[in-house]
Amino acid sequence: MAEGKYPINIWVNEERFEKLQQAGLAEMCEEMLAGLKVIRVYANDTQRDKILKVFPTAKFDSATTKSIELLPRDVKDKIFDKVVGKQNIDILDDFLSAY
Amino acid sequence: MRLADGTVWSIPILFDLSEDEISDYGVKEGVSLLLTYGGNPMAIFKVEEIFDYDKKAMCQDVYGTDEDKHPGCARTYEYKDKFIGGKITLVNRPKINPPYDPYFIPPLEMRKRFKEKGWERVVAHQTRNVPHTGHEWLMKGAWFQTYAELPIEKPVVGVLVNAIIGAKRKGDYIDEAIILTQDELRKSGYFGDHNHLTSLTFWDMRYAGPREAIFHAMLRTNLGLTHHMYGRDHAGVGTYYGAYDAHHLLASVQDDLDITPVYSMNWLYCPHCGEITSEGLCNHRDEWQKFSGTLIRSIVQDGVKPPRLIFRPEVFDLVLECADKYGFGSPFVTDEYLENRIPVFEIPPM
Repeated sequence: MAEGKYPINIWVNEERFEKLQQAGLAEMCEEMLAGLKVIRVYANDTQRDKILKVFPTAKFDSATTKSIELLPRDVKDKIFDKVVGKQNIDILDDFLSAY
Repeated sequence: MRLADGTVWSIPILFDLSEDEISDYGVKEGVSLLLTYGGNPMAIFKVEEIFDYDKKAMCQDVYGTDEDKHPGCARTYEYKDKFIGGKITLVNRPKINPPYDPYFIPPLEMRKRFKEKGWERVVAHQTRNVPHTGHEWLMKGAWFQTYAELPIEKPVVGVLVNAIIGAKRKGDYIDEAIILTQDELRKSGYFGDHNHLTSLTFWDMRYAGPREAIFHAMLRTNLGLTHHMYGRDHAGVGTYYGAYDAHHLLASVQDDLDITPVYSMNWLYCPHCGEITSEGLCNHRDEWQKFSGTLIRSIVQDGVKPPRLIFRPEVFDLVLECADKYGFGSPFVTDEYLENRIPVFEIPPM
C-alpha cells in the first residue's frame, strides 16, 4: 500500500505573507477556499501518527479534507518559521525531532 | 421506536438512580419527589415506575450499535442501574443568564412569535456551530424549498435557528460564540427580522443519527415549526450511519410526524463559478472546494480572517470578541472555560 501524504494547512495571514515575501517565498503559497492563502506541509503516516500523539488537540479530518487540523497556533508558528528558515516545506522530521 | 400506544418516540428520556440512592431518598412508586438544581426547587416528579433495562439492548435499538466508543453508547453505559418514570411538573422556571436570555423561547411563546411575524411556514435549522457560508446556504436553500408554492407578495416563511446547548467537549466552539454568531447573520443583514430567528434548546447530543433526526422532528414540532431541514448524516458520528439513513427513517414514519422534512445537498465553493453553489447544481466537480467545519476551525485558530465568501467578517469579528469576553481568550472550549464559564441558567430561590 502506498504511503499516505497528509497536509498540515498553515493559513497565511498578512503577517505570515510579509515574512514569506521577505524570504522570497511568496510563490510557495497555494490558494484554497475562495483565494485564502495556505502553505501545505505534508506528513507521512509515521509523522501524522506522531503529531496526533504529541499534540492531542490536533485532529485528522478523515471525512472531508484528509488533512491534519487544529494544531495549536504556536505550533503552527514554529512549523511556519521552520519553513521560512529552511526555505522548504520538507521540515517535519526536523521539527518533530524536538518532541 | 414507538411507545406502547403507537406514538413515535425515537430516543428514551431517562432518569437514572442507583439502588443506594433509591434507598437513601426513599424513592418508591406513588411518591412525589422534589427535583432541585443548585439547591433550589425546580420540579415535582411523581414516580409511577421504577425499572431496570438491558443497556446493551438499549444501545443496539437507539444507536444501531453497542460499541462503547460510540458517544451515545458510552453515555448509556454510564447510567446507573435503575430508572424511574413518571410525570414531571415544572414549579420554578429557570432564569436564563445573559447572553443566552433572548434566545430561550418556550413553545407557546415561540408560536406567538411566529404569528406576530406572519409566518405560515417555519423551517428548523439544527446547529451546534458558528456559521460559515456553507451553513448560511443550507438555511437559504431550505427557505427556498419551504416557500414552494406560497404567494411571495409578503414574507410568510421563516428560518428558525435552533442551537443545541448541552454537554461540551474540549475543542468545540464555546456556546456564547455559537448563539451570538448565528444571530449575527440576521443583525448584519444576511437575513432579516422578516425571515430569521435564533433560539436555543437544552439537549445533550446523543449522536444517534437517524433516531436523533426523528427526535429533532418531534422537538421542533413541539416548538411550532412546520418544516425541518436535514443535510447529510444528520446528528451522526464517525462512520456509524450512512449519509441518507436519517432521510430513509424519516420517510418510514412520515405519516406519523406533524412536520415536513426538507432535504438539503451540500453547499460548496466553486472557483470557476466564483460563488457558493450546491453539489446538485454545479458541474465543475474537479474544482470544488468543499467546506469542512474542522478546516474552518483551523483557520480561526490560526487567527486568519477567511474570505467573506467563506466566513462573514462580522461573524469572524464576533468570534474573536466572544473569545475575549467569554472564552478566556479562546473561541474553543478549554478546561478553563469548562470550570469557569457563565452558567447558561440558574434556578432562583422560591
